[in-house]
Amino acid sequence: MQEIVLQTNNLTKKYKGFMALDNATITIHKGDIYGLIGRNGAGKTTLMKTITTLTNKSGGSFSLFDSEEELTESKRRIGCLIESPAFFGNLTAYQNLKYYSIQKGMVNDKHIDKVLKLVDLFKEKDKKFKNFSLGMKQRLGIAFAILDNPDFIILDEPINGLDPIGIKEIRDTLKKLNEEEKITILISSHILSELYLIANHFCFIDKGRIIKDLTKEELDLECSKCIVIKTKDVKKATVILEKGLATTNYKVIDNTEIRLYDYLDNLAKVNKILLNNDIEIMGIYESGISLEDYFNSLIKDGAK
Amino acid sequence: MLNIIKSDLYRVFRGKAIYVAIILILVLAFVSCFSMSPGHIGITTSSEEQPLIQDNEILEQVYETDSILETRELMKKYGAYPLDKAQLGANANLYYFFIIIVVIVLVTDLSNATAKNTLFSAISRKKYYLAKLITCIGLGTFLILINNYGSYIINLIMNGKEFSAGFIEITKLTMLQLPILYGIISVLVCIGFCFRKIGTFNSITIPLIVVVQLIIMGVSTLFHLDTTEILNYEFQYIIGNLISNPSNIYILKTLLLAIFYIIGFNVIGYQVFRKTEIK
Repeated sequence: MQEIVLQTNNLTKKYKGFMALDNATITIHKGDIYGLIGRNGAGKTTLMKTITTLTNKSGGSFSLFDSEEELTESKRRIGCLIESPAFFGNLTAYQNLKYYSIQKGMVNDKHIDKVLKLVDLFKEKDKKFKNFSLGMKQRLGIAFAILDNPDFIILDEPINGLDPIGIKEIRDTLKKLNEEEKITILISSHILSELYLIANHFCFIDKGRIIKDLTKEELDLECSKCIVIKTKDVKKATVILEKGLATTNYKVIDNTEIRLYDYLDNLAKVNKILLNNDIEIMGIYESGISLEDYFNSLIKDGAK
Repeated sequence: MLNIIKSDLYRVFRGKAIYVAIILILVLAFVSCFSMSPGHIGITTSSEEQPLIQDNEILEQVYETDSILETRELMKKYGAYPLDKAQLGANANLYYFFIIIVVIVLVTDLSNATAKNTLFSAISRKKYYLAKLITCIGLGTFLILINNYGSYIINLIMNGKEFSAGFIEITKLTMLQLPILYGIISVLVCIGFCFRKIGTFNSITIPLIVVVQLIIMGVSTLFHLDTTEILNYEFQYIIGNLISNPSNIYILKTLLLAIFYIIGFNVIGYQVFRKTEIK
């Protein structure tokens, strides 16, 4: 069984008269790049802050690395960048990382150079943090998060305010870390299209509640263009599709719904052949939406 | 915890503030030794700190002159007295240097939100609190030693042995003053953890010493209390009184007060910090 890196059970955070996190339950497995998506103020940062104990939870529980060991010990295995990257302005990039490496009890200074190279900041290592651009600050934040070879990194909107090139650089760095260093990543953003390019698991959060939790394949399925066939006789309908239309490019969603990915421009033909074979059709229509529309529809559904 | 202390020392000694503080302390010691009179802060002066000069005629001349050189000549004319000991009586001045220490070690970390980088990792809030407290007290002690022995050495060089109380006496007085100075550092650390913003911290701590004196005097006047007796247990007075052969009872009382400050304010500071959301 795949190792669980983070498991939350009905995690709740309540402020005075405001529920910032409402019974959030998520599971992150080893090797996942887990995208947390939500609008500003949806509860993404609160969830991350609660996991990292920067704020105290009001209810529920969570465990790191599926272990019963002390949370403090498990936290040794995580790296983190929550909200904007904060470092000492009067220190250089190298000195800032050196400060935290002393704090973490690291003895090998060469590792600082290694992470600076990894985030493409090596040339700027003697530049003071206060003179950094936003992109450089974000990259230093990531360098800090991976400083002591963590197994799990938590990144809160690391692409915020970056230009397209900066976003791509961060994306490539994170993919590299996931693939080469086998680091599990929890990353939040309110830009689904950006997260889509990196994450393999998606969690939608709104008003503190988890409204959808799905894999990339499931998200693709939800968003891809198809003909949705609603019928009571799914089994017979699939036989007709295979025999009458010579296609197997469909998916049975449940006992009343089939999604057909062929004949997208010929809905009438599909309808006709099903009717001719006495299939009772409750509904047939084209479906498929953009990621942003999907996100919006989820939020609207959540509001209802 | 040791690692946090080590990392903070690494950071502090890479900044300018600690060096500015050391230079300022030495400059003040130099000016004090040159003018042969210790300075003081606050709106009152401790009874033991002020009357270095018993001769009213010379005292009037000292008050009349604006020239440091002339003051120096008058003080020399007055005769030998332990100037370095008197300088220790003005150690309440160190309060402002302790503010600098607490700002660079603690409040900057909390105010800039860099504390979250430390606290999300395997470091508990208790360890973080203790590490910051120990670092502040350690650096505070470092400044106290620089101030006391710096003044002693500068005085020896500038004014000669006859104006010095001697190394052992200075060491003994330093030891006597340390507990109450640690108490004051604890008060500042508590305020730092409670308010966590540099601006707020400064606006509370900078006038605090004067405000406390004003409150004591106001309350004493209002309720017809013995102001002198109460003021004897005010920080600046304690520092002044401890250098002039205080009774054992007084030393014990100030020690208890210091312990009360150290324990009381750190318990408050930690309890507030424990429940605080780190921004």
